[in-house]
This record gives sequence, structure tokens and C-alpha cells, in this order.
Amino acid sequence: VQENNKRHCRPVAALVVLIGLLCAGPLCAQEAGVEIRNASTRLDAGVWYLTARIDYRLNRDALEALQNGIPLTFELQVELTRQRNWLPDEDVAELRQDFELSWQPLSRGYLVRNKNSGDQRAHTTLYAALKDLGRISDLPLIDAALVNDAEDYEVSLRAALDQQQLPGPLRMLAFWDDDFTLESEWFRWNLRTGEQR
Amino acid sequence: MKRAGRQRLRRYATIAIATAGVVLGIGALILLGRYASSLADFGRRHVLILAVNAAAAVVLLGLILVNLFRLVRDYRRRAPGARLRARLVGMFVGLTLAPLLIVYFFALQFVNGGIDSWFDSDLEQELSAALRLSRESLDVQATSRLSQTTALAAALGNLDGEALARALSVLRADANADELTVFTPQLRVAASSSRSDALPPTLSEDAQAELGRTQRFVALEPLGNARYQVRAAVPIPGEMPGDAEENGRRYLQAVFPIGFRQGRLADAVQDTYTRYSELRFLRDPLKDNLTLTLSLVLLLSLLSAATGAFYLARRLAAPIESLAAGTEAVAKGEFDTRLPPGAADEVGFLIQSFNGMIERLGRAREESRVSQQQLERERANLATILGRLSTGVIAIGPDGRIRIANDAAGAILGVDLASRAGSAFDAIAEAGPLPAQFIEACRPHLKGEQREWRGQIALNIAGARRILNCASSALPGETAGDSGGAIIVFDDVTELLVAQREAAWGEVARRLAHEIKNPLTPIRLAAERIRRRYLPTMAQEDGQVLDRSTHTIVQQVEAMRDMVNAFSEYARAPAVAIARVDLGQLVREVAWLYRAQDGQPVVKLELEEGLEVEADAVRVRQLLHNLIRNAQEALEGQADGVIEIGARSVSGGERPFVEISVADNGPGIEADVLTRLFEPYVTSKKKGTGLGLAIVKKLVEEHGGTVVAENLPERGARLAVRLPVRAVVRDTLSDTRPVRVEPWRERA
Repeated sequence: VQENNKRHCRPVAALVVLIGLLCAGPLCAQEAGVEIRNASTRLDAGVWYLTARIDYRLNRDALEALQNGIPLTFELQVELTRQRNWLPDEDVAELRQDFELSWQPLSRGYLVRNKNSGDQRAHTTLYAALKDLGRISDLPLIDAALVNDAEDYEVSLRAALDQQQLPGPLRMLAFWDDDFTLESEWFRWNLRTGEQR
Repeated sequence: MKRAGRQRLRRYATIAIATAGVVLGIGALILLGRYASSLADFGRRHVLILAVNAAAAVVLLGLILVNLFRLVRDYRRRAPGARLRARLVGMFVGLTLAPLLIVYFFALQFVNGGIDSWFDSDLEQELSAALRLSRESLDVQATSRLSQTTALAAALGNLDGEALARALSVLRADANADELTVFTPQLRVAASSSRSDALPPTLSEDAQAELGRTQRFVALEPLGNARYQVRAAVPIPGEMPGDAEENGRRYLQAVFPIGFRQGRLADAVQDTYTRYSELRFLRDPLKDNLTLTLSLVLLLSLLSAATGAFYLARRLAAPIESLAAGTEAVAKGEFDTRLPPGAADEVGFLIQSFNGMIERLGRAREESRVSQQQLERERANLATILGRLSTGVIAIGPDGRIRIANDAAGAILGVDLASRAGSAFDAIAEAGPLPAQFIEACRPHLKGEQREWRGQIALNIAGARRILNCASSALPGETAGDSGGAIIVFDDVTELLVAQREAAWGEVARRLAHEIKNPLTPIRLAAERIRRRYLPTMAQEDGQVLDRSTHTIVQQVEAMRDMVNAFSEYARAPAVAIARVDLGQLVREVAWLYRAQDGQPVVKLELEEGLEVEADAVRVRQLLHNLIRNAQEALEGQADGVIEIGARSVSGGERPFVEISVADNGPGIEADVLTRLFEPYVTSKKKGTGLGLAIVKKLVEEHGGTVVAENLPERGARLAVRLPVRAVVRDTLSDTRPVRVEPWRERA
């Protein structure tokens, strides 16, 4: 309730906030966040597949929003770049997967839905749902034919809560504070050797 | 030129910035208006909206600060119109602020109240109840399906292999399940029967955990599109014999569909509940957003209003500032100031009138300047004319002070009137007896009601009598009935009168010479003839009578002849022969003739050496004779008579003079005689014709000199003749011709 009251900006405070647009910084560090535990690629039948384990830890605001019926969309960004010595790296492929986590009041469970494929899985606990969300298994990345054997390629992976998919008012709030900033660092490794950068 | 260019550049820059600010402000307001109605759009565009708003606010704020700075600067400098501008800006902002704040707070209240009114506790409870009802309805089904699954598991018993697969197919069809799967204790699929060709089923972690904990698992699973299914899992009773590795329980997982109708209804309830929850959760952020939006609108409106207030105030005050500046310029005398024409309103009319007024003022000033110059020229002309006049002119103001006095007036009165211009007319009486007498004589005529006066006044000064012809006239005042002072015009006519009198006496002399002298000779001859003829023949006694009588006749005739000769001498005016005369020598020669004899006064000489004058020696000689004779006659019968004759040079004044003085220690001159001493037949002596001094005066004046007579302090009298060192030959009458006096009035 106290936190809510803090967010209840009074008109004057709103003006002050407006004038001090960029003054608002991260209020405090959150333990919650997104972390990529491991990620790897493997070649199978002429296709490179991605497998990763990602830890999603929701903070109180995100959890509150989720349990109030607001679906959270997590995006998985994968980039494949060809590394060059004297020139900037070349983008070879880019992949984005959106997963939606929602609360189902009827079944009192959580639903994880791959927005790209439409696959969905129901979970009775948040733990199971988040674990399911963080388990990426054999995601087809690129046709091996498109990858030159003589070149070095780097795979970059990042997972984050997509604030743009939040409802408008929350998006506005998300702009000001870090309550809905859940994102991982970029995780990079060599396509073939799996050597992490 | 450069300054004008810079000003134009600044003006364009200001207009560009103001336009940018206004466009940004309007754009921001349009964006706010467009997206504020849609939360999703607002959320998506809020960064753009905020950026545009911030840019607009910054530009407008900058404009306001610049304008405020200028206004404060102008206010401190007390620039024309700054106070008016400040007041107008204050008024505009005040007028805008109050309604804006009212609308703002009213809108905030309205919006917050409106949002709060969406949420109703009854509705919430009803929605929760509906959800609970749906859930319980489904739970009933799930419980039923769990029981059914338990029964199916019991039916499976220890079946294995092909038998198990067949049994599963039969049971699935009987139970109307979507899927039946038997998992080994290692959770591998032992057998499965499914309605569709889906992927091989798995036992979820939830199910495993739940089975481990409660030996049963049931869950309602949404499938999308209002479809639901019940997933149930139970251990299959009994253990598989003879398989040590597979020692443990197997599990049966069954998936049952929920009826579409029920699923749709449940889905609708869940959707409604979810939307309501979402709205309830978003209530505060929504309020914050709307508050922010309204605040932005308020801020932009205020900033726009303030910017507009400065612009309007400047625009409104500009013509008035222009008028003030114009008035100031006109006050400094810049009559060529013209204000730029204003709009077709009252202020424009005012500016037009101002320009017209300045033009007329300028014209009037130019005319006044020309008139002034003309006046100055005429005044200078008048001063020249007055300066050249031999007639004295004094103009007196209504306050009794001298306004104009020409040189002649000063010369006649013997006062420097030029240095007394502006002083009181009466005050010049202190300058000497002559002006004092003049003022005394004039005063009655200046103060009375008499507007015109003309007369002759006689002034006595140092034994000399001066006659002035005087006229005064009142000057008109500024208004009818007011006194504008007076003007006095006067002329010294003393010499004129003397000359007239002398001319009259000359005429008398000529007539006497002609009418009386001629019969005298026959009378004398007749008397002498009678004497010569009858004296010898007469008795002694008769002879004595005859002798005495004829002697008396002859004597009287001689006396008459002398008298007539004297007259002739007075009237005669032979040509003057000017030559350089050694005055000392001349005086000595004449005085020698009067050297002391018995009974005669002693003559003493006191002569400055080297005195020379340009004069007629004969006339000077006669002059000296007359003066000495006059002195002798005055000392007649006085035993200690002394005549002192002096001659000296007098260098003071405009021209150098030589003064010849003859003083005696006789009884002096009677006062009434003194003033008319040099007129013919004025004498106090028993003897003498009364013409001696008149002739002296005439001779002196013929030389351009002066003669004065005065009584000495102790006793006796002194006559002094001053002759110019350089000859000034003049006709006696030439310098004293009458002067025509024109009435003069000062120009208004």
C-alpha cells in the first residue's frame, strides 16, 4: 500500500517529474532479473539448433501485475554475426521468440505460450511455468548451408521482459522506473566451439 | 545598416523560435488529445509525446525567460511602456492562470472520480462469485474425471505389452477420453492411446510432484479458443512382477475434454474477471498517466499563455510606447518625429492625430522662428535707428523699468543708460542732478491718466541752463485698459534756442546800425558846426552853455556810435581764418596791454608752456580782450583787484582741449544773472554794453568750444573757455537745426 501511495503522483509532483525527465534513475537494485545460465548450439542434420537455460526471477511489481491478469511477454533475441578482423562484424541472422506468461484465474495456474508457434503449456505453479519458460530446447537457428565453414560466427542471446507489450499505463510507469525492467545481459559464444566470450 | 541587419536577423530568429515553440506546443497538445483517448496508443507513443512536450516546454520557457529578462531590464531602465507591458503581462497571465487551474483541478477530480466509479465492490464480488462458480463446476468435473481415472487404473491392473495397449484403446473409447497413457515408474511411456496424432505425451513436473506428494494429480488446462481439458494422473495399483528394474508403480494419465459450451462460458467468465482485475490493477497507473497528461496540458497552456501574454502585451503597448517616445522626442524639440501609422483602431487614430499635431506644431514653430528672426532684424534696425537719432528715446515698461534707451538719451542726460537697461526709471535720478531734474519734471506726466504730453522743461546744471523739448506717450498694454508703460522722447534744444536768440539779436544789431548809426554823423556834425559857428560869437556865459551842450551832444553821439559799433561787432560774422596759434604768446601780448597801472587790478598769468591751438588769432585776441575787460569791469572800484589768467591743456574726454580761464576776486555774479550770463544785454554792472560775454560765447562757439561761468568759493568769479586743439570750424546754426521728433512706439 505504501508503495502504491508513492506511485500516486500528485499533480505538482507530476510536473516536477516532467521537468526532471532524465533525472529519474534506477531507484534501487533488484534481486529479481533474468539470467542466462548456459546456452549452446549444435549441428544436426544440416541445421544449427540452440539450447539454453534461462533463469527468470520476477520482482514484486511484475508478479503483482501477472496475478492481476496482465500477461507478461518475454522476448528471446538471438543474433548470429560473422566475425571479421578489420571490419565490423556482419549480421548473418536474427531470431526473435516471444513467450507469454499469463495467470489463469479459472484453473489457478499459469500458461506459457510461444507467441511465434502458438504452442502453450499450462502449469499449476509459477515455478514450473518459469522453469518451462527458461528451458529452450533445440530451437532451430540457421541452416548450416548459410554458414561458411571457414569463418568464425558468434551467437548472441538475450532474454528480457518486453515492456512494449505491457498495457499503456504500465508502459508509462515502466519508462520512469525499473520495476518492469527485467532483462539479461547479452550471452555470446562461438557457434562451433561453444566457447563463451 | 549593420545594426538594422542585426535587428532584422534577431527579429526573424525570434519569430522562428516563437513559431517553433507554438507549433511544438500545438503538436504536443494534438498528440496528447489524439493518444490520451487510447491507453495503448498513449503507452506506445508516450516517449514521442513526452519529447515533443518537453521540447515545446523548453522552447516556450526559453522565450518566456528572454521576454522576462527584457521586461525586467526595460522596467529598471524606466523605458517608455515597460510598466504598461508588465501590467498587461501580469493581467494576461493572471486571467489565464485562474481558469486554467480551475479547469485543471476540476478535470483531475473528475477523471479520478470517474475512474474510481468504474470499480464497484458489488461488481467485484459478483465477478469473483461467477468465477468461483465456474471453477467449482469445473472442479466437480475434474474430481469426477479423477475418480474415473482411478477406476480406469484399477481396471488396467497388471496388464502389460500388447494387452495393455489394447486395453487402453478400449478404455479410452469407453471413457470418452482424449488420451490415456501409462507411464513406467521411470516415467517413460509404457503404452498410450490418443484421439489425435499428437506428440508423445509426457508427465509434467507438476504432475510428478503432486503424484509423489498425494498419489493423485488433476488439473484443468486451457487449450485456447474457449477449449479446456482435464488432465488427471493416478498410480496404477499393483506392481509389475518379475522385473527388478521396473520395481515400482506405474502411472495412468488421462486427458478428458470439457464440453465446448461449458468451456466457452467459463472462458467468458475468466476473461471478464481478468479484464476487471487488469483494470483494477491499472487504476493507479491510469490516474498517474492522466494526471501527467493533464499536467502537461496545463503546463503547455500556461507557457503558451505566458508567451502569448508577452507577445500581446508588446503588441498592445507598442503604439503607446511609440507615442511616449514620440512625446519625449517632441518635448526635446525634435519636431520632425513621425510615428509609424498604427492599426485602424482608436490607438491608430491617436497616432494619426499625434502626427498631425506634431506637423502643425513643427509648422507653427518654424513660423515662430521666422517671425522671431524678423523681429530680431527689426529690433536690430530699430536699435540702429535709435542709436543714430540725436533725439533721446526712453521706453519704460508697465513696471516702471527702463526697457529701451538710446545713446542720445544717455548723452543728453549725462548717464550711461546702456548699463542701466532693466533698472527702475526713477533709479537713474541717483546718477546726477541732471537726470534727477529730468525725472522730477517727467514723473507727473507718466503717472497720471494723461496719455499724451508734450512740453518744454528747463534743467539747471552747474550754472548752465538746458532746455529740453519733451514728449511722452502711454504705450498700450496687453489687454485693453492695462498700462503698457510709456515712451519719453526728448531733445536738447538749448543751443537751438540760443542760436535763435542770437540770430534775433544780430538782426536787431543790423537794423540799429542801419537806422541809428546813419543819423548820428549828421547830428554830431551839426552839433560841432553849431559850436564852431556860434561859440565865438556868443557871450561867455551863453558860450559856456553852448559849449557844454554841444559837447554833451557830441559825447552822447559818440556813446551811441560806440554802442552801435558794438552791436555791429556782435552781428558781424567775418570769415574765420584758422591758423596755428601760440596761445601763450597771444595771452601774454593781450595781458601786457592790461598791465597794472594805478588803480587798475593786478594781472597774473599762469600759462602752460607750448600751448598751441588751431584758431582764428584775431577772434581769440578779441575774446581775451572781452574776458579781461569783463574782469576789470567787475573789479572796478576795488583796490585789491587781481585778475588771474590761466591757460592749460585738458586731455580728458574725446578730444583734447585748451582751457583759458580768467578769474577775478570781485563780488561774483548774481545767481539769477549767472544762468543767462552769455545772453546779450544781461549784465549786473553799471558800465558795459552787455554784449561782451555774448560776443565771447559766439566766438568760442565759432571755434567749436564751450564757455562756462562760475562763482568762486571764496569770492570772485571765473570764466573758462575751452577751445579744441584741432580746429572745428562750424556754423553757429548748423549744428542746432531743429530735429524732427517722430512719435515712436515699440512693436508688439
